[in-house]
Amino acid sequence: MIQFEHITKNYSQNQSALDNISLKIASGEFVFIVGPSGAGKSTLLKLITREIMPTSGKILVDEEDILRLPESKIPALRRKIGTVFQDFKLLLNRTVFENVAVPLEVLGKRDPQVEKEVASVLEKVGLLEKAESFPAQLAGGEVQRTSIARAIVGKPKVLLADEPTADLDPKTALEVIELLERINKDDKTTLIMATHNAAIVNHFKKRVVTLKKGKIEKDEKVGSYDSD
Amino acid sequence: MTQIKKTVTLLRRSPYQALAAILAMSLTFFIASIFVVLIIGGQIILNYIEQRPQVIAFFKDDVSEAKINEVTEEVRTTGLAREVKYITKEEALAIYRERNKDEPLLLESVTADFLPASIDISVRRARDIAQITEILKGRQEVERVITPQNLVDQLVKWTKAIRLGGIIFVSTLLSISFLIIIMVIGMRIALRREEISIMSLVGATKWYIARPFFTEGIIYGIIGTTIATFLIYSLLLFYSPNIAQFLGPIQVFPIHPVFFIYLWLGQALAASFIGMAGAAIALYRYLKIH
Repeated sequence: MIQFEHITKNYSQNQSALDNISLKIASGEFVFIVGPSGAGKSTLLKLITREIMPTSGKILVDEEDILRLPESKIPALRRKIGTVFQDFKLLLNRTVFENVAVPLEVLGKRDPQVEKEVASVLEKVGLLEKAESFPAQLAGGEVQRTSIARAIVGKPKVLLADEPTADLDPKTALEVIELLERINKDDKTTLIMATHNAAIVNHFKKRVVTLKKGKIEKDEKVGSYDSD
Repeated sequence: MTQIKKTVTLLRRSPYQALAAILAMSLTFFIASIFVVLIIGGQIILNYIEQRPQVIAFFKDDVSEAKINEVTEEVRTTGLAREVKYITKEEALAIYRERNKDEPLLLESVTADFLPASIDISVRRARDIAQITEILKGRQEVERVITPQNLVDQLVKWTKAIRLGGIIFVSTLLSISFLIIIMVIGMRIALRREEISIMSLVGATKWYIARPFFTEGIIYGIIGTTIATFLIYSLLLFYSPNIAQFLGPIQVFPIHPVFFIYLWLGQALAASFIGMAGAAIALYRYLKIH
C-alpha cells in the first residue's frame, strides 16, 4: 500500500529529518511510528500527503510514485488519505457538522448525500448530538473525534494520525485510539499513527516502527515503545 | 451550499471591505455611464447639425438658373455633399412668409425680387464644410456663403475632449477599483489562510479554493454596475425636462429603456471581467497552497 524507498529529507545542509529510510506498509495495517520529538515522525507523514518533498528517494502509494505526480493530481491523492492532526485543524467558525462535511463538499457531493454521510460518520464517532456545536463548545476528546470524523468521512484508504492524543488526558486518549482501531478493523483502513505516547503503544500491541535521529531503529510486528 | 450562498456568507463576515469594493465599482461605472451618455448625446447633437443644411450659398441677383445649376453640379461632383437643394427666389419668399407669418409688418412690400436664390447644402461629414465653402467662394456667381462652421468645429472639439477626458478619467477610476478589489480579496485570503490550508489538506483543488474569490469579484462588479445604472437612469429621468428644453429641437428624450439594459449589460460584463482579473491577481499573489 505504502512504500518508502531510501527516503532522505534534509531541511538544511546540517539537519537531516529522515536519513535513507525504507519502509513498507501493507493495506489494512495499523502501524505506530514512534520516537522522541525531532525523530522524523511528522516528516514521514507529511511526505505521504505530499505536503513536503523528500530530498531523495521514492514513495509509492497504491503502487503510484507520488513524487512524480503533477501538482494538479495532489488533491486526488489527498482524498485517498485522511489525516488527523495533533492541533485538530478544525474550522472554528463552522459547526461540527460543517467541519465534517468539508471533504464531501470538496468532492462536489450534493447536500442530501452530504447530510446522510456526515450523520452516519458522526454516529460512528459518537458525536451526532453535537452536530450543531462549534469546536469551542466541545471537550478535547470531542474535538479530536470531530477531526477523526472529518478524516474518515470521505472513506479514505489510508488514515494518518499525527500525535492525535498529545493534548488529551489518558482516558480520552485511550478512547480516541480505540475509535481509530475500530475504524481500522471495520473499514479495513490502513492506519499510520505517529506518537510518543508509550502507554498507548504498549497497550494496543500493533506493529511499531521506531525512529531515532531520522533513521529506523526498530521495526517490530508486535512492538512496544519505551520513551525513556 | 451553493457557490453564491457561500460567497454571500463570506461577504457578510467582513461587510465593510465588501462595501468599499462595491462603492468603488459603483462610482467608477457611474462616472463611466455619465461619459457614455455625454459621448452618445454629443454624437446625436452632431448628427442633428450635420443633417441640417450646413452651407448656404446666396447668388447674385442677375445669375441665371443655368449658372446656378452649374454651381450645384460642381458641388455635387465633389462627393462631399449629402444633399444639395436649390431654393428659388419664390421659394425663399415662401419660407420668409412662413417664418414671419405672425408679423404682418415684415411681410408688407416684400416680393420675391428682394430675396436672393440660394443653394442649401448638407455635407456628409462636418469636416468637409470648409472645402465646400472654399469652392463656393471661388465662384463669381455667389454673393455670400454662410456656414455654422464654428459651431460644428466647437462641437467636434468638445466631443473629442469629452471622449479623451472620459477615457483618461474612467481608466484612472478603473485602475483604482481594480487595486481595491485586489486589496479586499487579498485581505480575505489572508483572513482565511488557515481555512484554505485545511481545505488543501483534505483534498480541495486550487480551483475549488479559488472559486469563491472569483465569484466575489463578479458579485462586486454586478452590484456596482447595477447601482451605477440605476443612478444614471434616475439622474437622466430627473433632469430630462431641463436637458430637453436646453436642446430645443434636438430629440434626445425619451431615452429608450433598452439603452439602459445594454448599458448595464456592457458595464456588468466589463466590471465582472475586472472583478475576476482582480481576484486572479490577488489569488496569484497571496494564495500559496502546498
